[in-house]
Amino acid sequence: MNYLPPICFGQWRWIAVATLPLFFPAVASAQSATPGQTPDSFRELESKDIFGFTLGSDVGEEGELELENETNIALQKRTGTYSALEHEAELEYNPFDSFQIEAAAHGVYTWFSGVEGLEDRHGANFGGLSTVFRYLVIGCGPGAPVGLQIAVEPEWSRVDDAGKLTTDFNAETSIIADTELVPNRLFAAFNATYTPEIAREFGTPEWQGASTLGLKTAMTYRITQSEALGGELEYYRAYDGAGFNRFAGDALFAGPTCFIVFTNKLFLSAAYSTQFAGHAAGDANRLDLTDFARNKARLKLIWEF
Amino acid sequence: MHVQRTIVWFATAATLLSCLGQVPADAQDAVAARTSIKDHRFAPAEIRVPANTPITLVIRNLDPTPEEFESTTLRVEKIVAGKSEITIRLRPLAPGRYRFYGDFNEATAEGAIVAE
Repeated sequence: MNYLPPICFGQWRWIAVATLPLFFPAVASAQSATPGQTPDSFRELESKDIFGFTLGSDVGEEGELELENETNIALQKRTGTYSALEHEAELEYNPFDSFQIEAAAHGVYTWFSGVEGLEDRHGANFGGLSTVFRYLVIGCGPGAPVGLQIAVEPEWSRVDDAGKLTTDFNAETSIIADTELVPNRLFAAFNATYTPEIAREFGTPEWQGASTLGLKTAMTYRITQSEALGGELEYYRAYDGAGFNRFAGDALFAGPTCFIVFTNKLFLSAAYSTQFAGHAAGDANRLDLTDFARNKARLKLIWEF
Repeated sequence: MHVQRTIVWFATAATLLSCLGQVPADAQDAVAARTSIKDHRFAPAEIRVPANTPITLVIRNLDPTPEEFESTTLRVEKIVAGKSEITIRLRPLAPGRYRFYGDFNEATAEGAIVAE
């Protein structure tokens, strides 16, 4: 039985808006600055965190050190109360130009009650460790209308999505592209991710593989020097087996994003997405609430030293 | 056989480096450029340099207070202590305008490198 309310907004309008950046390379190419151009009153933004769940390609300057506090929240399954919160304390450093390393410690908090297929569980735990290696292949700017970054994020997790103790190794690998559709005002980004994973539940000898493919696109517009609002569209496909062995489910998310510059060294990125299409393999219900949550949110505070 | 393998290895490495735009800047002679900071303003505020050439930029801070030279498009962020100077090596730049700021006095300290 499907307990979810019907979709009550024009979902195709969301798709059209969120995929707009993919169809306007000509507009993007117009952003290259030319000698003698009138300076813009808006200062350039680093694009990495301005899109929400979707990432921008900028990695910052050589020698830059950043501390980030990132909170990801997953809310609602088909029945009961489902709230899963993951907090990451991240330290980022650029040892040389175009390359960034990040190290992070994860804490998780789960509150499950009456969720079909999950044990009731309330509590907090140490979630694991991760690191990210980012390389800026092409820096967006004069002569390069599109920025391109490749990134890999190896992670060790000790608590799974069901709140159970586990030993999980995964590595999200991303291709990240972005552009300025209107210089310093309107930005667009596209991410493609592949996340292979092997996990073993605590007390069991067998390892199980899984993989997730993700496609994300986002646009954001600076309404003032220090505030940007946008929207994004995310599509995920989950598989059993690390090499896309068997389709498990897919989900399409859309939602708004916000980026605020408090000072030149302190920034806030926020995003909220809701699943409005998808299905799980072998489940006749609308939406995939087996592999994904109904709603998710991200709040990220970035402090640059 | 060994020589052939070595040649193939170097050719592959050179191709990869070229694709990534990472050919060492030292391969070309750098062009020197200078600017100063006085009363929290850059002088000159606009620096013209040749495109596609490595740049050595000297920034002299004539104020007694420190300033942070920062540019997102140049990917540079360096502190310039009061009454001192720093030297920054910049990668070869495609033609265009690259803005920079004094992060501690953003309202007045602004300029640009124009590569042409």
